[in-house]
Amino acid sequence: MEESQNPVYKNKDYGKYREMLYSSYTGGKFEKAVGFHGEADRVILEQAWDLFKERIEDARQRVLAGKASPVVFYMEKNLLDPLGLSMVAGISLLRVKWHFRPNAFKRLSNNTLGKYAKAFNISIEQLKKVE
Amino acid sequence: MESKTTIINYTHSQAGHCESGATSNLFKFNGLDISEPMAFGLGNGLYFSYIPFLKVQYAPMMSFRNLPNTVFKRSTTYLGIDHTVVKKIKDPGQAMDALDRNLENGLPTGLQVGVFQLTFFPPEYRMHYNMHNLVVFGKEGNNYHVSDTVMELPQVISYDDLVRVRYAKGPFAPEGKMYWIHGKVAQEIDLKPAIAIAIKKTVKEMIGIPFPLIGVKGIRWMARDMKKWPKKHGNEKASFYLGQVLRMAEDFGTGGAGFRFIYGSFLKEAGEIYNHDGILEAADLMGKTANKWREFTYAGARNCKNRAKPTEDYGHLGDMMLEIAASEEMVFRKLEKIKL
Repeated sequence: MEESQNPVYKNKDYGKYREMLYSSYTGGKFEKAVGFHGEADRVILEQAWDLFKERIEDARQRVLAGKASPVVFYMEKNLLDPLGLSMVAGISLLRVKWHFRPNAFKRLSNNTLGKYAKAFNISIEQLKKVE
Repeated sequence: MESKTTIINYTHSQAGHCESGATSNLFKFNGLDISEPMAFGLGNGLYFSYIPFLKVQYAPMMSFRNLPNTVFKRSTTYLGIDHTVVKKIKDPGQAMDALDRNLENGLPTGLQVGVFQLTFFPPEYRMHYNMHNLVVFGKEGNNYHVSDTVMELPQVISYDDLVRVRYAKGPFAPEGKMYWIHGKVAQEIDLKPAIAIAIKKTVKEMIGIPFPLIGVKGIRWMARDMKKWPKKHGNEKASFYLGQVLRMAEDFGTGGAGFRFIYGSFLKEAGEIYNHDGILEAADLMGKTANKWREFTYAGARNCKNRAKPTEDYGHLGDMMLEIAASEEMVFRKLEKIKL
């Protein structure tokens, strides 16, 4: 078997969390093993995280350049989209999108800031700045 | 808060899929020896739906399993086991009190939770996915003992964290859903009638629903869409969409190949219980289909690795998918004809 087509890695170097995986159907038996995901599964998971990291970095640059409010950065950091954020924070979608502008964000009341802070699981002081 | 210790003697065992693993462990705790594939098959876990107009995490939504809680609800109902499912509790405090009462009565309780803020979960899986299941079997002071079938060992989670994951927001929000079995089950439960109903129902869901996005038809629809992706969205996006198909099929708690291996082993067990050649043949075909899914993953992953320049032709991948759909349809047509 090719190394890239091995469904289950048993070597401990591949991660911390071992999972139970059903690997193949050979000789009339369903093989299962405890181990780590194989190469192919890793590649596709990495792809998703690469996109998320790219989006977070992009949002950070836009916030630092003053083109977007910190809400955008924390939204991307929590892997949310505007609709998801509006559901989590309990603020209507149109208002959430309005708060993406730095000027609108500056005028927010403590109450609304608190809602965002609770949604992102951080304090209001943290919400106001982006490291 | 009073610090009272109640830990139920519950055996944690790892499983491929969270909900059927939890269901199987609950059955075993109550004295009924039902394996994970058996619980999955009896609960009609297998499903397929493709919803291209809904985007989840920037890619079309698709699902290889039934709605959350179907596995537990249907398997217990088909077997005639006394159980309770509480769908929704508005107040988090009340929900936690109900959980505590259950633990004091010696009933391990299954919960639906969101994954994103689950503290002990592998970080690479922490995305917004609200259909995860775990079983709480003990309380020690402010901490709960939790059996999560993805993890190798039982875990500990604090009160506040548990409230947060039980009330995760978003699509399919858990809203404090909990379920449990009432006490010990009589040893002599005949699996045969339950298997007959379960197979019939799954066959109906996979080939009998006259809607083009569900079941085998849904796989065909996705295959045809897949061929158009690079032209419609460009290579980067097409590869991300393809990655989403593979992630749903392989990575997220499926045990591999979009549950097809688990369902195959259910059919094998069912065939052995019935001593029926037709079901065993179907199990063999299901295993071969599952192997085809894996081959599809290997081919697709090559595209995801080299994102801008696809190494595999999307037309070819679409054809592979159509072949999978045909072979899956054959399994269900075979099962449809079997009279149990």
